[in-house]
Amino acid sequence: MSTAHTSNTYSAVGGIQHEEALLFEHAHEASEAISLPGVQGDISAELSAFSRQEPANIPGLSEPETVRHFVRMSQWNHGIETGFYPLGSCTMKYNPRVNEQVVRLSGLANIHPDQPMDSVQGVLALLYELQEWLCEIAGFSDVTLQPAAGAHGELTGLMMIRACLDARGQQHRKKVLVPDSAHGTNPASAALCGMYCVELKSGADGRIDLDELKKHLDDDVAALMMTNPNTVGAFESDVKEICQLVHDAGGLVYGDGANLNALVGMARPGDMGIDCLHINVHKTFSTPHGGGGPGAGPVVVNDTLAPYLPVPRIVKEGETYRIETQDEKSCGTVLGSIGQVGVLLRAHAYIAAFGKNHLHKIAQDAVLNANYVLHRLQDAYHVPFKGLCKHECLLTDEFQNKHGIKTLDVAKQLIDLGFHPMTIYFPLIVHGAMLIEPTETESKATLDSFCDAMLEIAEQCEAGDTQVLHDAPMKPIRRRLDETQAARKPVLVWSD
Amino acid sequence: MRFLPHTDSDRDTMLEAIGMDVMSDLFADIPSEFHLEQDSLDLPDALSEAGIVRKFTQASEQNRHAGNTRCFLGGGTYHHFVPAVVDYVISRGEFLTAYTPYQPEISQGTLQTLFEFQTMIARLTGMDVSNASMYEAATATAEAALMARRITRKSKVVMAGSVNPRYRSVTQNYLSRLDGEYVEVATHDFSTDVDAIIASIDEDTACVIVQYPDFYGSVYDLAELRLACDAAKCLMVIAFSDASAFALIQSPGECGADIAVGSGQSLGIPMGFGGPHLGLLTCKQKYVRQMPGRVCGMTTDADGKRGFVLTLSTREQHIRREKATSNICSNQGLMCTAAATYMTLMGDEGLKTVATRSAAALHHLLSNLPKHVTAAQGARYNETVLSFVSEEKRSAFLVEARKRDMFAGIPLEQLDTKMASNHLLVSTTEMIEEADIQDYLVALEVAA
Repeated sequence: MSTAHTSNTYSAVGGIQHEEALLFEHAHEASEAISLPGVQGDISAELSAFSRQEPANIPGLSEPETVRHFVRMSQWNHGIETGFYPLGSCTMKYNPRVNEQVVRLSGLANIHPDQPMDSVQGVLALLYELQEWLCEIAGFSDVTLQPAAGAHGELTGLMMIRACLDARGQQHRKKVLVPDSAHGTNPASAALCGMYCVELKSGADGRIDLDELKKHLDDDVAALMMTNPNTVGAFESDVKEICQLVHDAGGLVYGDGANLNALVGMARPGDMGIDCLHINVHKTFSTPHGGGGPGAGPVVVNDTLAPYLPVPRIVKEGETYRIETQDEKSCGTVLGSIGQVGVLLRAHAYIAAFGKNHLHKIAQDAVLNANYVLHRLQDAYHVPFKGLCKHECLLTDEFQNKHGIKTLDVAKQLIDLGFHPMTIYFPLIVHGAMLIEPTETESKATLDSFCDAMLEIAEQCEAGDTQVLHDAPMKPIRRRLDETQAARKPVLVWSD
Repeated sequence: MRFLPHTDSDRDTMLEAIGMDVMSDLFADIPSEFHLEQDSLDLPDALSEAGIVRKFTQASEQNRHAGNTRCFLGGGTYHHFVPAVVDYVISRGEFLTAYTPYQPEISQGTLQTLFEFQTMIARLTGMDVSNASMYEAATATAEAALMARRITRKSKVVMAGSVNPRYRSVTQNYLSRLDGEYVEVATHDFSTDVDAIIASIDEDTACVIVQYPDFYGSVYDLAELRLACDAAKCLMVIAFSDASAFALIQSPGECGADIAVGSGQSLGIPMGFGGPHLGLLTCKQKYVRQMPGRVCGMTTDADGKRGFVLTLSTREQHIRREKATSNICSNQGLMCTAAATYMTLMGDEGLKTVATRSAAALHHLLSNLPKHVTAAQGARYNETVLSFVSEEKRSAFLVEARKRDMFAGIPLEQLDTKMASNHLLVSTTEMIEEADIQDYLVALEVAA
């Protein structure tokens, strides 16, 4: 029997906050195994010949021990239900609880993907309706629900663009233009699609520079990948002209929809000339992030790309739904199922709750909140690109640098003041980026207290009271962690 | 609107603070031609919470499901038992509503759970290390092929025809835009032809991908393939669709896999009509720096206390961009928490019971099969192919089974169009009781 790694007998470190050993350290002589249903007969003699040699050594805990272990783990986490979570480009909005309830209905959670079509008409109807809504909201003519996440949607969109260019006899077009402010997934997805990237240097206002774009538009261009609003929080006001230029050069425009929350119900990317767009339903449509996933990244397309959508896809014939698996022109299959159905159903419930009359309030309040935060912080922190922002605002640590304080220190001090930090050091085009996305589900009181905390940190810098900032965070269960040590000699599994 | 905290007076105060009059001023940077008219979208009116519950309940009741039928369907998705604690843990807001753990000091819950998940998955598969999840098994298989190409700096991928058609199709699609050969080796008798696979290996081969147990449930010896891979300096990739198997049968590690990928859906995750499931990717220690996806590692904090962080991030897209090992960003984090909770509740004993009963149910069924139906030969885990004398006979049986609230199997040609239409892929788990098998056998007799 092993003991927890802490030397003292009691695990409480303050109040009722607990240290918690790894479950491997909890392990003791196995109690009676969990009760299970099933056939208690023999396995076949043929199969017995392939028996596992060494036990897996997975330590079973009793049910009360298991619950306590994972509940304590959960208490070491910060989630959107715990508090403000202003991660830029991540859209950490409230995740409605009713959505969690309805996707757990047995007739939605316990269906096998290969059941006969007549036995799954209810779920297909919900998914088909979601397809129509996503097209309507984003301004496109068709959609695939298959991509499992945003980056997977990027890959899927580029596969469709590839198929379209190939059909035009343009196999040689392999250059993908990506602004230097883009998410890292954009160039990674292009590489996976057999294309290569050329980075567009952003203009002085943080937007795409038309002259820079024109310089790179030639007969090799397959696509431009644009995020709009972009990752500095600015709307690409030249979007129509940008799309026109790319189309005139024979390329297509991929829209990264990570920032769709700024536009939903107010304007539609499909109206602006973009050919396809992935939608992060785990951002704009409120499905929970789960500590890293699952997400879903449906891709909406215009008529140019619709023939190349992946299979399988859901089609409606009369009042009956079915899944189409064959299509000559399709860019192929990108996932082993029709999509992350449970995630997509939550998005359905979310859009249904807003309906046609309220959807625009998402974007309105999101943009209002970001501009309000920007307004309150713009004197204390450097604002690299002036003017109206959309759903997120970008600051840097330039003013704090002269006191020896970096963005990382600001972020860690925010933790001690009770806030999850903003996205830091992204986008890469400014030094010491702090990208703040409050979302529409935060009250004015929360925004004010966050801004007060940020101003207090800026004042501490000005006052030279910086040691506390270097030392932060002091309050969570762990202080700053040594990432260099972790990467140099990686320990990725526990050894008893 | 109930999800938005602002009152109109809050909005006015805030607008005034930033020097604006009306909401539309906030969108002045969007050319006016793109502004939508109020209420112009073709969407239904807003539903109340009660309205949403009613709508989803009605849709749910239109479906048949494993809660009111007996499910003999597999093919990559399995109806295993999910203890209530699993759903409770992943419903905790601190797990459910957290982002990727970019700020480790306040994400130790997610991170330690991932570390425990990685450890248990490595142990179950018999491999050295696991990453912190891929989307699902088909994309994980594609990523394994890409990973093997990076490691070996060779490009040809040999795929067994007995790998799940969906894994094959996605992998082929991923590879089709990159240089290099992709070869599928034909399969016979619903099992894996190891000799034919070995014959397809040459000096350009980066990896061989086999499924074990294969798509048809066949369990077979991989020793010769391991030797052939060593001789050709290519990697042996094992794909799997039901991770529960490895509590009972030789693990991919024991079979000598270099990379093992597959589905963790069996480990506490409902079928959910295809997702979200859980992709697993494991490998030998020496290949960790070529792994795709996120991975959690152990370290210490400023006070010397043990803690956990996401690590080896220089492989990843946010640092390496187009040179990253993968484009994956969001993964299946919450499903890792589900699988970790499930495995903790089960332990070795529980996992072995699940696997044994899943296999025993199939053995019981096959031992009593009537003569007009033939089953594929050889060792099978919890899945096999039943062949009928004709498509008509198969249809008659499926109709009879449906009358008895059974989904009796997947017509094989639905998943693999090259297949004749008299076969049925049948799968069992611990959720199948003896009475269910009796009913299945009666349906076979009635429809004979």
